[in-house]
Amino acid sequence: MRKFSSIVRATALEILSEPLSLLVLLAALVIAVLAPAFHYHQFGEATRMARDAGFSALLVCGGVLAAFGTLRAFRREIESGTLEMALAHPVSRRGFFLAKTAGAAVAYLVFAAIVLSVSLTIVEGAAVGGRLASASGDIARLWGPCLAAGLGVTVVPLVLGAVLNRFANCRFVLSAFALAALGGAGCAAWTAFRDGLLVLRLLPVALLLVFLSLVVVAAAAAFSVRFPAASSASAVGVVAVLLLPAVGNYCLSDALSGGGTVPWSYVGLAALATAPAVLLFLLLGVFLMDRHDLS
Amino acid sequence: MTDDIIVLTDVRKTFRDFWLRPTVAAVDGLSLTVRRGEVFGLLGPNGSGKSTTIKMILGLLDPTGGALRLFGRSPRSVAARARLGYLPELSYLHPFLTAKETLRYYAGLCGLDRRTAARRTEELLEMVGLADVGGRPVGGFSKGMARRVALAASLIGKPELLVLDEPTSGLDPVSTKEVKTLVKTLAAGGMTILTTSHLLGDAEDICDRVMILNHGKSVAEGCVDELGASLEDFFLAKVGKADDFKLAEFLKG
Repeated sequence: MRKFSSIVRATALEILSEPLSLLVLLAALVIAVLAPAFHYHQFGEATRMARDAGFSALLVCGGVLAAFGTLRAFRREIESGTLEMALAHPVSRRGFFLAKTAGAAVAYLVFAAIVLSVSLTIVEGAAVGGRLASASGDIARLWGPCLAAGLGVTVVPLVLGAVLNRFANCRFVLSAFALAALGGAGCAAWTAFRDGLLVLRLLPVALLLVFLSLVVVAAAAAFSVRFPAASSASAVGVVAVLLLPAVGNYCLSDALSGGGTVPWSYVGLAALATAPAVLLFLLLGVFLMDRHDLS
Repeated sequence: MTDDIIVLTDVRKTFRDFWLRPTVAAVDGLSLTVRRGEVFGLLGPNGSGKSTTIKMILGLLDPTGGALRLFGRSPRSVAARARLGYLPELSYLHPFLTAKETLRYYAGLCGLDRRTAARRTEELLEMVGLADVGGRPVGGFSKGMARRVALAASLIGKPELLVLDEPTSGLDPVSTKEVKTLVKTLAAGGMTILTTSHLLGDAEDICDRVMILNHGKSVAEGCVDELGASLEDFFLAKVGKADDFKLAEFLKG
């Protein structure tokens, strides 16, 4: 277990330490925060606009991080020779593969948790701002709370990360990520405090999108064991295209309109449907890892 | 308990291309035995099969033929690899981890608990002279510093067998001397060491027994003391002088 957790921790740290990961996170947060700010195109559905922007960010940016974070972590391990160093220790090849894949999944889940937390705040902020705007007749007040929260979780982590890097020698990207996570946790707590039901309504749909990205993580891990980065990325692209029909789940956010929700039983069924695909890619990865020379 | 730590019997390794056509026979019918407590040197020119042999011993490459036993088991066995440490030719390290995190990562791979891992990390960083920079990411280290971290990582699990692939590669003369002293100290403490080197002087200083490889085959094997000549003369007699470059003719013409 100690070996497994060491690999998971190092892999998650590796992916979250990459500047690319921070860029993808910031892009997702900017989409979640700013897309709904185009208030002349909301057609009176401010909270829905905020909600859909958050889910879009989770789906698109999350997919990019799941695919490229995993792929880069595996290929760098193989191409730089650290895999040789690791496997010269008492770790089985399949154990290493599974732990590294789990580490990539953990990195993705950290990302997803931050984006989802911030999205929840923006949705709640849209509701609060909507009431303010209605009361005052000033539509610009609609996005005040949203933009404040958005700035809090994007600019503040960057600035504080730079300060910590300058004065305490902390790693910039990792510090910024940790601070964004802290901000996300604060946002989630605030939203849950104000409207716990909102969290329970949005979480099921977010989980459906997370399941899709976990399939992408497993596929990227399996392909990158054997094929160079470009070929692996193409193969993952094909998997993503095959998954597109499942992205129909995304339309389930319609079910949230008018206070509706997606039943947890449906989420359970979606998890059951996802499991065989993840398992298939994990088995493929284990097979490729076991059967081939690693040097 | 057997005294034969590594036993290779008629081991062959042929690399193949994408279509499984054989491309090169890197190791061709190699047999060798490394006994407990000795420092064994694999010598040979570039492309002679030294690194391939080491990677087969580590279980990273599967032999095409022959038998290979490490501590009496398959090199793929986790139990066998629990007893070895490995220093690769290039210091492969995760650039984003600090020196301390790197050593704790490899301690974790050896299954050491947190407290033991922390203690061993401090001891080894002290030993390789990097205690002051343990909190810095290794991506910013010089080649020599990275080499020291890799050496410390190879020793974190207190191995019985240490496999060193070109251990002095990229080190300055002072660091080279320190590594040689360290190898002698570890060997004096009973550790078995398998090393490769291009530098015959280094091998002569630290090895008890050497094998000279050329084109994947063993061309000589014996104790360093019994060669009857300097290792360099012996090596050149067995492998041949490197006169393929025709440098003088090129410069004249």
